This record gives sequence, structure tokens and C-alpha cells, in this order.
Amino acid sequence: MSDAAQPAPRGGKWGAVGRRVGMRLLSAVPALFGVLVFTFLLMRVLPGDPAVFFAAGANTGQAEIDMVREQMGLDRPMHEQLLRYLWDITRGNLGNSMTTGQPVRTDLVERLPASLELTFSALLLALSLALPLGIVAALRPGTLVDHVVRFLCTLGVCVPTFVSGLLLIYVFYYLLAWAPDPTGRLDIFAATPPEITGFLLIDFALVRDWEGWRAAAGQLILPASTMALFVLAPLARMTRASMLAVLGSDFVRTAKSLGLSHWRIIVVYALRNALLPVLTISGIVFSTMLGANVLVEKVFSWPGVASYALDALLASDYAPVQGFVLLMATIFVMVNLLIDILYGVADPRASVA
Amino acid sequence: MEFNRRQGLAAAGGLAMGATLPAGEASAQTRAETLRYVTGNTVNSLDPSVPGSTRESFGLSMNVYDRLAAFGRKRLGDNWVFDHNDIRGELAERIDRSPDGRTFTFHIRQGATWHDGTPVTAEDVKWSLDRAVSARSLAPPQMSTGSITSPDQFRIAGPRVVEMMVERPDRLALSNMCVPYAIMINSTLAKRHATTDDPWALNWLKDNSAAGGAYIVEQHRPGTQTILRRNDNWRGGEQPGFRRVIVQTVPEVATRANLVERGDADLSIDLQPSDVAALAQRGRVKVVSVPQTNGFTHISMNNTMAPFDDVKVRQAIAAALPYQDMFQAALFSRGRALFGADWTTTPPNSDFPQPMPLHSNLERARELLRESGHPNGFSTTFTIGTGVSAWAEPMAALIKESLARININVDIRKLPDAQFNTGQAERTLPFYTEGGTAWLPAPDYFFRLYFTRPQRWNFASFNNEEINALTREAQFETDAAKYDAACKRMIEILAAEVPLILAWQPLHEAVMARNIEGYTYWFYRQADFRDLKRV
Repeated sequence: MSDAAQPAPRGGKWGAVGRRVGMRLLSAVPALFGVLVFTFLLMRVLPGDPAVFFAAGANTGQAEIDMVREQMGLDRPMHEQLLRYLWDITRGNLGNSMTTGQPVRTDLVERLPASLELTFSALLLALSLALPLGIVAALRPGTLVDHVVRFLCTLGVCVPTFVSGLLLIYVFYYLLAWAPDPTGRLDIFAATPPEITGFLLIDFALVRDWEGWRAAAGQLILPASTMALFVLAPLARMTRASMLAVLGSDFVRTAKSLGLSHWRIIVVYALRNALLPVLTISGIVFSTMLGANVLVEKVFSWPGVASYALDALLASDYAPVQGFVLLMATIFVMVNLLIDILYGVADPRASVA
Repeated sequence: MEFNRRQGLAAAGGLAMGATLPAGEASAQTRAETLRYVTGNTVNSLDPSVPGSTRESFGLSMNVYDRLAAFGRKRLGDNWVFDHNDIRGELAERIDRSPDGRTFTFHIRQGATWHDGTPVTAEDVKWSLDRAVSARSLAPPQMSTGSITSPDQFRIAGPRVVEMMVERPDRLALSNMCVPYAIMINSTLAKRHATTDDPWALNWLKDNSAAGGAYIVEQHRPGTQTILRRNDNWRGGEQPGFRRVIVQTVPEVATRANLVERGDADLSIDLQPSDVAALAQRGRVKVVSVPQTNGFTHISMNNTMAPFDDVKVRQAIAAALPYQDMFQAALFSRGRALFGADWTTTPPNSDFPQPMPLHSNLERARELLRESGHPNGFSTTFTIGTGVSAWAEPMAALIKESLARININVDIRKLPDAQFNTGQAERTLPFYTEGGTAWLPAPDYFFRLYFTRPQRWNFASFNNEEINALTREAQFETDAAKYDAACKRMIEILAAEVPLILAWQPLHEAVMARNIEGYTYWFYRQADFRDLKRV
């Protein structure tokens, strides 16, 4: 019994972290609620009447417009609509999309993995390029290497994603035929893997269908590269700046004077300390990418959430836009929390506060 | 045996059709027998009459569902176009019309079955027709244009015989049996999914089919793709050439063009005019270009709003527009001009739309503007929707430029489509452009739909007593000469009053693999896969 007292403080520490995570999540609720109400009102304030848009058949008159309005619940007073919407949300019902004719939740559940898979791949790709580039640039500031990195970053951020996307398609699909046709997550004639996680790469790996995995990865390369190019700049520039600051600091000078190996100083001492701002910016970049990859999704016919929301917005289709914004806000909260937890891993002095 | 992914599907297809070919051969054959159609839109409903259904949904439903009757097709130059004067039976093997033109008797095709193998009964047809006039869908307003409004008008007259009665001999009663909304439904299957709130199973039929048409829906993922398999038991027409059809949504228009040109996709119809011109020039694909015989692009002026309520102002604007330049800038002249006709008061025939006597003449425009009491011009706003900005933007710029020459100051306003449609329906737009297509291109229907009553499709809010009266009578006119005269008179009034300016009929352009034949332009502006075959 007395032995059990020993691990208790440890469990207590993790308990404290859990409590703090819980508090963070709880404190996000008012923010999410605010987003919910704001989007709800904003959609209704925007000009454009969805009922008119969807009752667009020839010979449809006011009667049909009223019918659609009633089906969408738009004939009721605003406060009643809001209360109904909130009540529906507590039961997990996000309403129906007129654009696809499906419940919004079904659409989002089906499309979110596509967006996440693309965004994760793009972020990984961007980080795997940006970190070495940033480090190299920081080690040799002002040299040709530094200028080349700066040029690459500027180019990436200057060219809009739909231009670079179309350009990549033109070269690698149309001219060289190296890439598969840019129409979604998987070749249309290929068999889809069983739906396990919705992430094709994971699902194919789980059923050990490596040919399928390669096909899915092939579809992913061009859109992921397009997005990675675009976010290369903030990541590489941030890595460079923060590496420069760390490399000039006292403890690095001490490490150097103690004769530690070059490699050890850069990777173990400098990089770990330089990573904090990069982590922060990665979180922001990730959330931005998820919502802002709409052009990439459009160009590559990627069945993701962003292009879904854009189509709905253009049609003044309220429910999908509201559902999308809520989803994005939730993801934003989660990503920020995750980043804060990762802070603690990168720098034990920081905590999930 | 090495079993790769493409062959996987091919082999599955092979098994389905009971073929015993080696895998390689089967795969080649199946790709050849598969039509991959890429589109920028989505099929969002399998039932075309559900509010919000897209044009793709209409097109798909023609392949999946049978109607009692169907339009035939005819040659126009090298191309096929639909012929609304040639109506044949589809699910009906014979259609009798009583001498007074008020009763239609449909004899259901012997041996016709639904996709689940059960026979088509008169009860099914009656239920489907009742649904088309009763359900809370887009079908009833369309049916009412053919005087079909109540379930009482349909009667089961025997096993496999259904009668339809109209009060007056409406010219378009039978035509309305051919439109996408008039689907024939397996009522036993549909009723199983009907609820008290939804007695016509609208919700279920949106995502499921209860049909008997040429193709069976194998997979339907709204917003992404729909896959069809040929129904080999279909007897409603000639057996379609493709065993399998993939309808895939590819939002980026340049990608669609690339896919067809590279041979990865077989057909696309909604490409940019500039891309189509380039594709035609490179010659790796076949381009079918047909003027949209039942459509038109118009420049509308709100006739209830000053200064456009003054006929002189409308005539002045009609005389000031640079028609030829607009046609070239907006469409690269890929279409049929509806301006520049050389008749003055009476049109040569009763066809509509037909070229109108519109000519650019700035002197005349200035004079008309002076007569209207606006010698110093005025200011107005020209609105375009984002959906049509590809052709409307260059057009708007030219309108602004040339109206400035007669001192009319034009502000160009570009609105998202939903907002544009709302403005149009609430008739708050003074001056704008859009396109229109009539499913049933009878002249009186055109006028009734686009130039009468305070409703959304009366683009110019036109209200002319004579046209109102003429359309009311022409609908039921059985005498061909009288009908012709009435239509000519309506066109005359249009030419004199210019409630709106008819600009042109855009081309319907389909880009396809060079070995595909039989493409037909249909009134709902979608591909009918039943017409197509690979040679």
C-alpha cells in the first residue's frame, strides 16, 4: 500500500495536464458558440435568397419559391430559426445541403478526411523542405545559399496556388504524362479501399494494398506540392530567423567553446530551441491551409470540405457554410491546443496554460 | 496471375456481363465500352423534379428513367438535334389522340419491366402522373403549361392502358410528357419508402432510383461521381452503345479540356469557348457545335422602371449596341446571331427565336434619345452574374463603351449568382444580361414564358395586352394557319417594342473522343448517353 504512494505525484501531474486541457476545451465553448451565431446571422444578412436560387426550374413561380423557403425553414422568424438550429446542433444535426442534396454532416464526414489528408501531406512536405532550407540559410546568412532560399520562398508565395497547380498539371500530366489525371483522390477506374479511417493512404496500408497505396500517393503528389510551395515561405523564413537568433545566443557560444561537435550544437541545442516559433507558425499554417486550399481542391477536383463550402456559399446554401465554419473553428481550437501541448515537448519550461 | 487495379474493375465488369475473355482483352473491351463523361456540375438528385436539381440531374434522369413519350431527333447540317414536332412513344408503344384533341391514350409497351424485373403496370403510370401534378416539386408548374393540373385527368382504361384528358386541346399537353420531370416510377418500390409527411417519396427518390430506363444507377456519390450500367432489358429505344457510363465532377474547366484531349475522358460539354476553339484547331478531339435552337442570350431592360418604361429609350439602346463586336468578344462569334435581320415590320416566318431587325446606328440612337426627352442621356447600372462572367464581362465593357457615345453612363455590377437571381426574381435589376432556354421551343410557349405575367422568367417585366391575349389563345389553336399568324404578330410586337434585346443563340459545344458518334443536342442541354456509340 505504501508503494502506491510513489507513482501518485506522477499521475497527479498528468491529471493536472488533463484538467488544464479540459479547461481549455471548456473555455473554447463560448468562442464556438459566438462563431455559430455570428455565421448564422451573417449568412442571413448577405444578399441572395437561396429559395429563389434553388427553385430555378422553368415555370417556377412564387408558389415554388415559397415551398422551397418552407422546406429550408426560412419562412419562420429569425430567432426561431436560430433556436431550431442550435437545438439541431446539440443533437448532431447540421441541416441539409441543397447543393448536394445530402445531410451536411454526411458530406463533411465524407469530405473532411480528403482535406485533412491533403493538408497533412502538404504540411509534411513543406516542413521537410522548409526546415533544411531555413537551417542552411541561417548557417550561411548573406551568402548565395541564403539568397537562393529567399528566392525560392518568394517565388512560392508569389505564384497563386491555382496558377502553380495548373502549371504542374500542364507539365506533369498534359505534356509529360508522368502524373495520373488530376481528378480527385483515386483513379476513377481503380477500386477504392474499404472505408476505415477515410484517409486513403492509411486505409490502403491497413489492408496491405500497396499498389493502391501508390496510386493514391500518385494522385496526392501534385496537389500537395502545390500547397507546400505556397506555405514554404513562412515556414522557411521563420526557421531561418529563429535559428539565427538562437545561433547567436550565449549557450551556443558556450557549447562551441566547450568543443561540442558542430552537428550536435545545431541539431540538439540550437534547433530544439529554435523550433518553438516554427511550431506556432505551423499550427497557423495548418489551419489556414485547411480552409484556404479551396483553389487547390478546385483545380485538382479534390473532394474536400473547402470547395464544398465555396459551392454552397455561391449558392447561398446556408447549412453547409454554417457547418463548415463550425468545423473549421473546432479544428482551429484543437490545433492550437495540440500546438500548446507540443510546446511542452519542445521546451519543458513551457506548459499548457 | 498478376491482378492489377484497372483489371480489377474490368474483370468485375466482365463477370457482370458473363464474358469469359482473358483479363487483358476484357479490360481493353470494357474501357472501350465505358463512357467517361466529365462535367463541372454535379448530379445532386436522381429525381429531376426535386427543387434545386441541377441540369446534370435532368440529363442523368433521361438515361435512368423512361417517360411515356420522347422527342425524336433530326439532322441539322452534320449534327443531330432534337425535334419537338416528332413525338414517339417511349414507355408507351402507341399513343392515340382523340379527334377533338382532348384525350390521349397511352398503351404501355408489351413486356416492359422495371430495373428490379417487375412488369410495368397501368397503376405505376397513373401513380407517376399523379405525382407529377401533386407532389411538392418542380413538376406541377411545368405540367400546368400543358393544361395538366389534376390527378382526375388520368384514368386507368385497361391493363397497360392509361388515358389523359385535357379540358381544351392544348398544343403542349403531349410535349409535357417528354420533359425530364415526367418520369415513370416503379410505384410499388417508391411507395414502400413513402411516409405520411412525404407521400410521393421525394426524399427517398432523391438518392435512390425506382426506374426502368436504359441505364441503371450503380453508384451515386453526389458532388463526386455517378456510375451507370446499361439495362440490357430496356426496350424503349435502340440499345445504347456503352455498357457503362461514368459521370464525374471535375470543377476545373481547363482540366476537363486536358482530360478529353489526352484521351482519359471521352466527353465534356461545358468548356470555355476559347478552349473549344483551340481544341478544334489542334484536331485531337471531335468538336460538335450546334446552335442552341431553343435558347437565347438577351440584354434585358426593366420595362416597369424609368427610363426603360419609355419605348423610345429602349429603341435608342437597341440602336446603340455594337452587336457584331459583342458577338465576337463574348463568344468568338461561336453561335447564331439573332440581330441584323433585314425585315422591317413583318417577320418572314413564325419561328422563334429568329434574327430580329436590330442594327447598330448611333445617329438614330441619339435622335431617339432626344425624342424620349433625355437629350443629355442618363445613368444606369448593368448587372451580370459571376456564373456567366466569361462571356458577359467583355459584352458589358462594350455596352458601357458604346452607350457612353450617346451620353448614357453605365456602371457595371457583378453579382454572385444567388444574389443575381434574387435581384432578377424581385425585378430590381434595371439593365442586365442572361441566357434563357425553353424546354418546349414552340413560339407561343416562348412568349408565354418569357414575355407575359409578372414572374421571374419575364426578364423585362413586359406587359403587353395584345401579346397576353395572343398567347392565351395560341396555346389551344388547332388551325395551323391561324397559329402561324398569331406567332408572327407576336414577333412583330417584339420587334417594335423591344422589351429586351435578343442577342444570339450560343453554340452548344460538345468535345469528345474522335471515335464517338451520335451526339445529339437535346432541349435540356445535356448529353443523352443513349445516343452515343464508339465506332
